[in-house]
Amino acid sequence: MKTTKRGDSPNCHFAAKPSTFSQYKTLLAKDLRQEFRTREMLTSMGIYALLVIIVYGAALALTANGLDIMKMGGGLLWVLIVFTSLLGLGRSFAHEKDQGCMEGILLVPLDRSVIFLAKTTANVLFMLAVEVIAVPLFYFFFMTGQPVAPTLPAIVAPLAVGTIGMAGIGTMLSTITMNTRAKDVMLAVLFIPLIYPLLYACVTATTAAIAGTEFWTDYFVMPLVLACGYDVVMLLVCWVLYDFVVSA
Amino acid sequence: MSDKKVKVPEAGQWPDNLVVPAVLAGAVLTTAGFLMAFLMVGPVNGAALSSPELVGDVMVTNQQLLSQKIFYFHMPVAIVSFVALVFAAYYGIRFLMGRQQRFDTCSRVAMEIALLFVVFTMVTGDLWTRFEWGVWWTWEPRLTTYLILMLIVIAYFVLRNAVDDPERRAVFSGVISIIALVDVPICFMITRLIPSSVHPVVAREGGMAPDMVAAVMIIMAGMMLVAFGLYRLRFRQARLDERVQALKDQLEDY
Amino acid sequence: MNPILADIYSTVIPSAPFIIAAYAIVWVALLVYVAIVVRGLKRTEAQMAVLEEAVRAKAGE
Repeated sequence: MKTTKRGDSPNCHFAAKPSTFSQYKTLLAKDLRQEFRTREMLTSMGIYALLVIIVYGAALALTANGLDIMKMGGGLLWVLIVFTSLLGLGRSFAHEKDQGCMEGILLVPLDRSVIFLAKTTANVLFMLAVEVIAVPLFYFFFMTGQPVAPTLPAIVAPLAVGTIGMAGIGTMLSTITMNTRAKDVMLAVLFIPLIYPLLYACVTATTAAIAGTEFWTDYFVMPLVLACGYDVVMLLVCWVLYDFVVSA
Repeated sequence: MSDKKVKVPEAGQWPDNLVVPAVLAGAVLTTAGFLMAFLMVGPVNGAALSSPELVGDVMVTNQQLLSQKIFYFHMPVAIVSFVALVFAAYYGIRFLMGRQQRFDTCSRVAMEIALLFVVFTMVTGDLWTRFEWGVWWTWEPRLTTYLILMLIVIAYFVLRNAVDDPERRAVFSGVISIIALVDVPICFMITRLIPSSVHPVVAREGGMAPDMVAAVMIIMAGMMLVAFGLYRLRFRQARLDERVQALKDQLEDY
Repeated sequence: MNPILADIYSTVIPSAPFIIAAYAIVWVALLVYVAIVVRGLKRTEAQMAVLEEAVRAKAGE
């Protein structure tokens, strides 16, 4: 029940328990290996991202030329990321539960927060992989018509910060919603309000970087710092509380 | 800690004796504050006049705003909603520490009171927004974060409905009540963090006149007492419901 | 009436409905909440009566 680090306990003589770090590595490797074999998450998330872009195409078809896409780009990009990651996070525990994998992991005497860290890392990697495809696609479809600001590469920072926070919060919430009725709706209902402050800050920073106006750092640095703060607080809270959630 | 018997809250314990005086005092205080806000505290200044004018023996240089009177209930109610959320999270923590269902009931009831006061805040704030800013809604940071807080509280109840197992439901909602608390300081600080925000910040605008502070404090104290009374009433009802349910289950087992 | 004097109080009358509505809604919502809780209490008491009946029936068997 309590988070005792049984793995590192000094009065645990009978067998050399694997260190926390190697437990973490094993769990992470398990998720990645499963993904490399089935390519389930990456294909579904990638196709979903492409579909959202196509929907944007329809939504903006008549107005795209009249709109300042540079000002809207940041927001549209984050909508794409939020919905794609919602899909991925919902699935990330689905197969654990379907195949009874979660029970197996819970039988192992390991610190539960290691599960949280491993799962979050896996989700971060999947989301980053999707972003690596989706962001260039987004650029290709919507932003080639206009001159690119030299500050564009700076969007990497808000993307990374946002992804880490969303993966952490999402891992926690999808562990909760895995055991509820109407899982997918529940995940969205909890996820979107809880990431909102992070989303708001990241959209502001991304838009500032895309627009790249003269005082862009004014709208870039401060939101990024706030987003980092939110990440740290949320990840800490989730890390501490994960033990309760996963054993419930 | 494990040997000591944890005292669990129960309906009919000493706080219930305070309910009637508390609610009466709350009613008196809020009414007094209400009358004070309208009759004694001067109106605040709005847009500047084209030229000053002598009213009575005071030189008036600005429009006098009545709409600001909403503030006397808006802010106390918002503070009470934050306090209720703190209590919900506190009982959530107590539940996760000792796994006693009673604390889950407390947490749920506190969350319900929080929802009630969040709705009050939204309604009063929105009517003020409609009049002063001329719109029903604007994506202003304070409004937005508070809306998010309301959505989290609503999501808490949606989650409770979606879990069948009581133990599991209690764990999940305890965790969510703690996470929801993270949004409270954000809500509170946001107008200071984002200076472009148009939501009035009392401290930034040179503070309140002492009589304004007095009226706000009186109403806040009154609202706290009312909230306490509501909490105990709801808790009593929830407990009775649980006991009847337990009895029913017992009777079926025979 | 002096136009400047009228300007001073120009927002008072238009804002009155909003203030009245704000206070009234808070008031009414409080009452509705109390009414809901009391209704729940009554329902629980009714269930208590049913329980008593059931216990009596069991005892009579």
